[in-house]
Amino acid sequence: MKTLCNVNNLSKSYPSFSLSDISFKLKTGTITGFIGRNGAGKTTTIKSILGLVHPDCGEINYFDLPFSENEREIKQRIGFSTGTVNYYPKKKIKNIVAITKTFYKNWDESTYQKNLKLFSLDENKMPCELSEGMKVKFNLLLALSHRAEILILDEPTSGLDPFSRDELLELFIELKNRGVAVLFSTHITSDIEKCANDIMYIRKGKLISDCTKDEFCEHYRKDGETLEETILRMEKEEKV
Amino acid sequence: MRKLLKKEMKLAASPLSYIFIMFGLMAFLPGYPILVGSFFVCLGLFQSFQCAREANDITYTALLSVAKSDIVKAKYMFCIVIEFCYFVLTSIPVLIRMTLLSENAVYRNNALMNANLVYLGFVLLILGLFNLIFVGGFFKTAYKFAKPFIIFTVVVFLVVGIGETLFHIPVLSALNAFGFTHIVLQVIVFLTGVILFSVLTAISIRRSIKNFEKIDL
Repeated sequence: MKTLCNVNNLSKSYPSFSLSDISFKLKTGTITGFIGRNGAGKTTTIKSILGLVHPDCGEINYFDLPFSENEREIKQRIGFSTGTVNYYPKKKIKNIVAITKTFYKNWDESTYQKNLKLFSLDENKMPCELSEGMKVKFNLLLALSHRAEILILDEPTSGLDPFSRDELLELFIELKNRGVAVLFSTHITSDIEKCANDIMYIRKGKLISDCTKDEFCEHYRKDGETLEETILRMEKEEKV
Repeated sequence: MRKLLKKEMKLAASPLSYIFIMFGLMAFLPGYPILVGSFFVCLGLFQSFQCAREANDITYTALLSVAKSDIVKAKYMFCIVIEFCYFVLTSIPVLIRMTLLSENAVYRNNALMNANLVYLGFVLLILGLFNLIFVGGFFKTAYKFAKPFIIFTVVVFLVVGIGETLFHIPVLSALNAFGFTHIVLQVIVFLTGVILFSVLTAISIRRSIKNFEKIDL
């Protein structure tokens, strides 16, 4: 499997929180579940690797190219969604999409139309008229429509109803089979159980584990425990 | 950059930015401090920054396939386009007042600043100051804009005050020249305005790109 994204020793300090020495790789045809409790550093990590947060140190390479020097080219080949951010709440979705698609050489109109139907989104609505779950879907729609080779999604399943969540996870599996690398953060362990190959577990800004799901279970799981119970126990043990 | 400019105009801009270009025609008004029109066009641009912030425009743009520096350049480009439109529009009354209406009694008896090339030089200075103080100030945080706008407002009214006062000093009365009289002086002040606008805007763009790189969105 080819490495599409390589992050080395990423660190970022805030007065009350620091992300330290985060290193990981994203490979073709893998789904990586990025798990950790609220405030553990998932969003900071994702924002750092997307250039939205300026890291104190560390290397971020996509397709063997440094991100900082090849931002435009790299962003053509990756798709991302950061939760339910409400862009242009008073503009029609079709107008936002009309502008967005001009920025991508590989914009795939048929995929866009397919996902528009799948997500039951009405192009004539404005983001302010959408529920939180529909806003997540709108963000995903933009991220999925330009034949991205890597998808980086911050809590894509939060706010979605169980049916939509299931459909989205199925979509991840379909993309994985096409060779796309998917990284998604979540605090819903069942999402990871359902579709992830790899697990990245972060706690208090440190990456505790970065391995395959099987290795994670082998290493941390006790007899009879579900993945959720394992992670809950690990969090509780840390508190003690 | 063309795509980003289109995005600025279609998604981020406030309609007031376009409507307030019309204040360029204020240069027709006799007995009015016509330089204030330049402040109004900047107020229109300020509205676009407000709209863009409310719409999370910067974060949206940062997620597109553009470099962080392009986001800054696109905002300046938008401002420069609006400022250019304003400048062209306000140049029309200036040219009419300098030619067809140069002997008109209403304008001849006007106690305030005359619409000539000196006026256009001052307009360019004000627009350059907007780019330096307000837009540059905004990109220190990419969020806070009240303080830079207040500072700009104070500075702009000082400049308006200076523009309205200078020609009352007997040795500088030529600044209020009618038609093509004292044309060399008029051209020198105008060109100074062009240079100041270019330099202030260029300094501001460079600083903003540097500051914006360090900002966490």
